[in-house]
This record gives sequence, C-alpha cells and structure tokens, in this order.
Amino acid sequence: MTMELTIHEVANRLNLPWNTIERWVRQGRIPMQKSGNIYIMREAVMKKWAEAHNLSFFLSKKEIDQEKNLQPENLLPAMQRGSVLYGINGQTVEKVLKDAIDKIPDLLIKNKKELLATLIERESLASTGIGNGVAIPHPRTPLSEMHKNSAIITCFFEKPVDFGSIDNKPVFIMFILLSISVKTHLHLLSRLSFCVRNKLFIEFLKTSPAHDLFYAKIADYEKEIDQIGDF
Amino acid sequence: MNHQLFHIFRNTPVGRETLLQSIYFCNQVGIAPVIYIPKHAKFLMYFKNEVVQIDLDNSYLTAPDTAIQHASELLEQGGFKPRFYTPKHYTASTLPDINTEFDYMCCPRSISDATSKITLGNIGAKVRKIVKAAFFPVLLTSPVFKEWHSITVFFGGSANAVNALRLGLQISDISGMPLNILTRLEKKNTRRDYEKMVQDQNMEDRLNRHLNKWLFFDKGKFEENLYDVPHDSFVVLGAYGHGLIRNILFGSKMESIHSTIYNNLLIVGPNYVANRLSL
Amino acid sequence: MSIFKSWRNPFKWNFFRSDDRLLLILIAVIVGSCSGLAAVALNRSILILFDWLHPFRHYWWAFILPAIGAALSSIFLEKIVNEGAGHGVPEVVYSVSSYGGLLRFRSSFSRIISSCLTIGSGGSAGPEAPVVMSGAAIGANIASFFSLNDRQRIIIVGCGAAGAISSIFNAPISGLVFSIEVILGEWKASNIVPIAIASVAGTEISRFLQGNSIAFAHHNFDITFFDIGASFGLAIFTAVVTIFLTRSLKTVRGISEKIQIPLWVRAAAGGCAVGIIGMFLPVVLGEGYHFIGSMINENFTQGLLVVAIALFAKIFATSLTLGSGGSGGIFAPCLVIGSLAGLTYYRALAIIYPSLSWVNEGCYALLGMAGLISGMLQAPLTGIFLIVEITGGYNVILPLLIVSSVSTTLCHYIEPASFYLKALVAKGQLLRPGTDARVLSDLSVPELLERDCLTVNQNMRLGEFIHIIKKSRRNIFPVEDEKTGRFLGLIHLDSIRSYIFNSDMYNAVFLWQIMDTDVDKVYPDDDLSEILNIMDRKHLFSIPVVANNKFIGIISKATLLDQYRKELMVQTLD
Repeated sequence: MTMELTIHEVANRLNLPWNTIERWVRQGRIPMQKSGNIYIMREAVMKKWAEAHNLSFFLSKKEIDQEKNLQPENLLPAMQRGSVLYGINGQTVEKVLKDAIDKIPDLLIKNKKELLATLIERESLASTGIGNGVAIPHPRTPLSEMHKNSAIITCFFEKPVDFGSIDNKPVFIMFILLSISVKTHLHLLSRLSFCVRNKLFIEFLKTSPAHDLFYAKIADYEKEIDQIGDF
Repeated sequence: MNHQLFHIFRNTPVGRETLLQSIYFCNQVGIAPVIYIPKHAKFLMYFKNEVVQIDLDNSYLTAPDTAIQHASELLEQGGFKPRFYTPKHYTASTLPDINTEFDYMCCPRSISDATSKITLGNIGAKVRKIVKAAFFPVLLTSPVFKEWHSITVFFGGSANAVNALRLGLQISDISGMPLNILTRLEKKNTRRDYEKMVQDQNMEDRLNRHLNKWLFFDKGKFEENLYDVPHDSFVVLGAYGHGLIRNILFGSKMESIHSTIYNNLLIVGPNYVANRLSL
Repeated sequence: MSIFKSWRNPFKWNFFRSDDRLLLILIAVIVGSCSGLAAVALNRSILILFDWLHPFRHYWWAFILPAIGAALSSIFLEKIVNEGAGHGVPEVVYSVSSYGGLLRFRSSFSRIISSCLTIGSGGSAGPEAPVVMSGAAIGANIASFFSLNDRQRIIIVGCGAAGAISSIFNAPISGLVFSIEVILGEWKASNIVPIAIASVAGTEISRFLQGNSIAFAHHNFDITFFDIGASFGLAIFTAVVTIFLTRSLKTVRGISEKIQIPLWVRAAAGGCAVGIIGMFLPVVLGEGYHFIGSMINENFTQGLLVVAIALFAKIFATSLTLGSGGSGGIFAPCLVIGSLAGLTYYRALAIIYPSLSWVNEGCYALLGMAGLISGMLQAPLTGIFLIVEITGGYNVILPLLIVSSVSTTLCHYIEPASFYLKALVAKGQLLRPGTDARVLSDLSVPELLERDCLTVNQNMRLGEFIHIIKKSRRNIFPVEDEKTGRFLGLIHLDSIRSYIFNSDMYNAVFLWQIMDTDVDKVYPDDDLSEILNIMDRKHLFSIPVVANNKFIGIISKATLLDQYRKELMVQTLD
C-alpha cells in the first residue's frame, strides 16, 4: 500500500513549519491533491519532488523520532550492566586497574589488554581522581568493542590507593566509565559527579554496600537529578 | 495565546452595541479584539481562492475624529488594550486590503446596508460571501448587546457541523458555560446515528464533560423548534458546503435561523480550519 | 451530485493529475476567447458610440460631449460598481505579485463599460488597459471557478491579458510578449505555452468577428543608411516626449486631486477641457486610431507647426482625461502621440536637411509609435512586436530596434519605473518571481517562529536561572510577568556572562535586575522585510516576537537563512 501523507506529515518530513507547506499548496509549488477536506501526497511523489528541489527530507516517522529521542541513558542501567567489584587489590594505580580489569566478567570486555593500555594512557595525562576518595578512570576515546551500550564498573578497593587526586586524598573507590560516545560520556560523568559531590553518598560508599543496596541508592539519586531537571 | 477577533468599528450607537458584544465574546473566549476604523467605504479581503470586496455604507465613516476615542473607551472598559488595525497594502488608492489572518471576525448582521435593515433579518450577500470563503468563523452579533450564559450548537451531522460542535466545545471549555446541542432529525437518521457521529470524531469524552442537554426534534417546523433555544444562549452553527445547488439551500437554512432568533451567532464556514493560527 | 462537484475541480480527474499543462492549455483557450470577445465588444461599442455622436460634433456645444461621457463613466465606477478610477493594469500586476492573481468578478466588465463611455464620447484615452484588466479578471475568475492554485491562476490571468491585447490589435505575438513582459515578468516555458495559445484564441475571435485586417497597413519603405542614423535622433526625441507625457500626466493628476469637488464633477471638468481642445484639433479626440492610419499613409497634410501643436494638444488632452478621472488606458494615446512625434521629427528633419532623400514620413510616424510605447511601458519587446504586427511590415525592423531600445534606455534613466508599474515600485509592491522581495514577502513570521526558548519570570534568582540555562538550547531568555504573562524583557547570555560564574551572586541577584527591558520586538503580522531592517540596523541576530503583550517566540537569522534558501529553491525550480 502506498503511504499518503497529510500537510503536517509532509511538513515533518521536510523539517519545515506546516504553514509553509500550506502556503506552498495554495501557491501551487508542491503537488498535493485535495482529498475530501484535506490535502494529501503520496510518499513516492514527495520523495521525487524533494529530490528535484534539492530539499533534504526524512523518509519515515521512525527516523524523525530517532533524531529527536537520542537521549543518552542514565547511570543505573550502565552500572547494572557493568557490575560491582569488591576487594580490588594493589598499591599503585596501574596495579589496581589491572586487578579490576582482570575481575571484570569476560562477557563484558573481551580485549582486556587494550582497555588497560588505554586507561593507563589516560591516567598518565592527568589523574582521574576527582577528590573525596573517588576516581573515574575512562578511555580517551570510546573503546572499539563498545558500541551498543555504555557500562560503568564500580570497584571497591581493599585499602585506599594514592591516585594523585586533586585533593591528595587516597582513593577508595573507582568507577570505570566505558561509554559509547563522547556525548554519553559527558552525560554519565556529570550525573556521577553530582552523586559523589554529596558527602552522605561518600559515607555510604565507604561502607562497601552490597550491590542491590548500592543500586537502590543510585536510583534515588537519579530521581533527584531528574527532579531538579539538571543535566 | 495569540487569538484575535477582527472587528470593524462603526462610530454609531448601533456600532457601540456590536463592539460591546465583540468585547464580551473576546472576554469569554480569551482572545483579543483588533479594531478597524474604516477610512474608506470599501475594502478587499483576499482569501484562498476568492477575493471579496466589502462595501460598507457611509455610517461606518461617521465622525472619524471621535471614532478612535469611542472605541478605545469601550475596549478599556472591557479590559483590553486598544489595538487598531491599519491596512498595510492598497489594491487601489481608496481600496485597502485587509489581512485575513484572524481567528474570528465580527460582522454586523448586514454589512452593507443601513442600520434600519438589520431588523429585516437578511444576512447580507457580503457576509455570506465572507462566511463561505473564510478560514475563520464569523460572529454575527445580536442587534443589542446581550450577555449569554450558555452555548447552543446546531448539529446536523455535516462536516461543518462537526467543526461547529468542536468549536462550541472549545468555547464551552474556555468560558466554562454549559453546552446544549440541537439536532433536527433528518433523512431517517436516529438519535443513535448522531451520537455515533460524535463518537467517530473522538469528542465523546469532552462532550460528556460539557454537555448540558441534547435536544432532538422530529416534529414541527424548523422555525418553531428554534423557540427552544434559550434566549441568552450563544449559538454556534456550521454553514453548508459549497456546490451550486447547495449554495441556495445553505443560504435559506442559515437565513431562517438568522431571521428567527436574535441570539449571537457564530457561523463556521466550509473553509474553516480549526486552530489554524494557534500560536 | 458528485458529477457537479467534480467538474469544478478537474484536478481530481486522473487524467490531469500527473501534469497540469494540458488542462492549463484548455482553460487558456476558454479564457483567451472570452477576453478576445470582451476586446471586440469594447472596440465595437466605442466605434458605434463615436459614430452615433459624430453628427453632434458640429454644434457649438459639442465640447460638453466628452464631459458627459467622463462624468457618466466616473459615476458608474464610483457609485454603481464601487471601483476606483484608473486603468487597472497596476491592479492586475499587484494582484499577480501579492495575491496569486485574484481579481474581483466585477472588474471583468466594469472597465469596459466605463472606458467605452469615456472614449466613445471623445475623451482621449485608450481601450487597451481596460480590456487587459477585464481579460485578466475574466481569467482570474475562471481560474477560481476551476479551483486552480496560485501559480496556475497567475498563468491564466496572463492568458486573459494576452487574449485581450491580441484581439484588440489583431496581433498575437504582441499579446504574448506584453503579458509576459509586463504582467507576469517571468519568461518560462510553462508560462509561454498557455499564454501563446490564449493569444491565438483571442486573435482568432477578433478575426472571425472583424475580419483579418492589419490595423495600419502600408506600402514598403526603402530604408537608407541615413534613416538608420536619423533614428537615433528620433529615439532621443521620443524619449523626451515620453518624459514630458509622464510628467504632464502626473502634474494634472496632482492638481485635480487637490481640488475638493465630487469625482464626477472633476471628471466632467476634464472632459469639458478636452472637448474644447477637440473643437479646434479633432485629432485629440477618442482613441485616435483613424489618424494614425492617415499619418502612416501620408494623408496627414498639415504643416510642421500644426503637427507640433497637435502633438502637445494630444499630450495635454490625454493628461486631462486620465488625470481628471476618466477611464481608459495610455496605450492608444501613446500610439497617436508617437506618430505625431515621428511626423514632427520628420518634418523638422526635412527642413534642416532638404537635400537628403529620407524614406518618408509614414515610416517615421511608425518609428515614433515604437519609441513612445517602448519608453512608456519600458518594455522594448512589446513595442517592437506591436509595431511590426500592427503595421504588417518587417522591413522597418532595423530602425525599429534602434528607436525602441534607445528610447527605453533613456526613459529608464530618467523615470526608473514604467508608467504601469511606477506606483507599485514606489510602494515596494512589485514582487517579481524569484526576487529577494518576493521571497521575503512570501515568508511570514509564523513560519519562521522558533518556540524552543525557555521563559523565566522577573522574580527568579540568578541561581535558579542557572538551572534554566543548563536546560536551554538558546542563549536568549524572555522574561515574563509571573501573573499576567506579560513580556517584560530579555536576558541575553552574552550580557551576563561576566558574573554568571560568580556563585556569591546567585541568591543576591534577581532577574528583573539584569534583564534588558529596552528590547526591539516585532509582531506576528509584521512584514519580514521590516523585521530584517530592524535587525540589520541594530545588529541583532535574533528578535523576540510578541503578540498581545505575550512572548510567543523568536526569529533568528540562522533559521531565516535556512527557510529563505528552501523557499528560493522551491520558487525558482519549477
């Protein structure tokens, strides 16, 4: 069956206001036919017409929706995907990173060597210790194998490690942030830093909570973020 | 909201009543009036497929020096900041073009005739032409200013009547006044058929919220039925569509309503587009 | 019933769905024939009226005949059909420019009747412009009847004009060229084909009813080298005459508009004056085609002085007739004045250089017409084709081209807009397709409105405002009154950048302290060109749109460029 489009649909697809299309119909610039009380146009005709006039257009409603709804996902799903690791060992940054990466489930990351190398490379530029005993290591560019979903791996340390943080406090927890794009990275990072700015949350983390408790807490904070409407 | 009602001001006592009615309507519906004080006895309105010349009679040009002041006084009493329309374009030096991008237009019952003729109950040919060509509904005011306390929609099932019903609902929504529907059973349609028409248009929920009563008539002359329209009700009706034969009918039905009841009428023409200019 | 409905909307027929060209050609035939018929009717009735009044011209009171005619025509236009005076061509061009060629039904006959009264009674005016108006109005109404869209309707209006000109002069190419050059202003195959068909239909109607006669047939001219040279001089002379005529029309109109008397009295006074001139020089009366014929065939025997006086008398009579409110066009008077000018030039030339053998005075009369028409309409092609067709001769084409083009150029130099379009150009209402003015007038404020601005209220603290900034994609923030929603002012991110990072101020500063209240704002029904003027003058990139004291959106130059480009692509690529 051929798709028949109304003025509003045509306007959507051409990314133009509908009153422009209405005027074009009146002026006879776009070949729409009157059917009953409304004007319609077949999809193929619209495509041909738009191409002839060098106008860009979207083919279907889905495409438009995709454009509009490209909201990056939130912390909780990424954390749940990334898993929570306890008792990470090591005295130096490199060692804790290596230990953590070894403990990451193989399903999530296959090329662990690449991940370690990129994380260390990033650390050598500047420490990812953001203060309050928290570090957020991440690769500089999205990993080659991460392309569908982002993941955050939460790692509780056995004992605090000197990360060279800005406030010189030793780090007791790190979130390895693996995102699919720079945009998602910034989105997740800003949400995460909102949480760890809160003293109560830091105290809560210091108790090395069980993962379901931890997830529940994150969910609470995310709700708060959404309420403020920030980020 | 940026809805506007276009009103041609006549600087006479009759014109005052009309303007008062327009202001009342604007207040109820939550729109702003735009006043045009004519400087020439004729103007053009360019619609989509038609250009209508409106010839006003000379009473519209009465005492131009006091017109602005009179209109401003009335508007300010009504709580509006006076806004006057100045035509930007002229087809000929004495023939201004009036924008047609309004949401409503107020017409005196007969635009081109002397005030005495208003009582004869003819809808002037020009008013009918405007109704036919316009995107906007046309407000025909009662000869004397009168407040209304309910809304009555004449619903006959045609596409225009559906538009009229939708508009009536909208007005009832904004003004909070109860809505009545008046239907004359025609062509073997039963009560059920009309209710189904409303259902098909997804208006049932809204209707249930606002509907006061739905009157059906199958007996008596149409004019006699009209007595059941409350005297203080605002009447919304759709004009019939085009087509040569229907034009004649369309005139007569509308005319008979118009000459029988003196309520304020809002007429939805065949070219009406709902919320066309909503911003 | 359904048959009745669909025949008025032929686009529903599958046959025409794919391509409207065939349908336009069919309608063009109808419109061309109708307007051709109107032209013949006007031509005939002027002749009949003129002949009927002829016996009375010997009486001493004959001078009031034009007065009566002009007064009647004025009363008819003002009181009966309620239309303004004037010849109507600007109205057609205006409507084509701004409203897709919509014209009133009454225009299709009003000018025919009024100009018949004016010209038939002896007023010095032409029947062409009224007939163009009528033809165009017939076209517009037929187009509306068939529910055509603007683009198609404009072509059909052009068809009406072309049919009228073709029929009245028995000159199909002139009709085509006039319609496209003056009325539509766009040379495109999709315009030319239906208009050509309408021209043919108009011409055929005229030939069928009046016979195929060339208006001013003449014998062959032998153009010499000297004549070519002399035609430059003639071009200059006709340009001077054109300017004189334009100025004279303007002056008389200006004077007559200052006199506060009823319109019909004014018209009668003008008619009276024309009648008095006409008693001494009958050449000024009516459209004057008869005299053109005699001039071209060298039967106009009066000497140089009489011809020169006649030239000025005709200019004066035309100005009086049209300026005082008579109904008619400038076309025919131009032809008469042009031939008188050519004749004057020839006679003068023959006196100055008696030894040279000039071709003959008929040829110069003819060239003079071309010069005047081209200069007045500033449409050189119309002038050239018209003269070639109405004189049935191709052998004068070389001097014709010279006179036409030089005269057009000179007149353009002094009067930048043609007689028909002057008023429109002055008001900025001449919107030719594909021009900047056209694109800007088509785009309207609601089409460009961007509504994704987040509004704030004046009692908000800077700290809360920071959160709003985070959410917004824009760098301007309209400030509204909390209760009434009134638009109070704007906050532009650029202007608060310096203290926005100072968190000490977050709780101390309210938005009413930092908002800019002296903002330029525009309304939804403002013209885009005016809005752009404001933006250019103030170096703004965006401007708020306000309706009923409420903010409804902004217009930004970035979006404007995007829309402007799309509009231009759609308008120019057909």
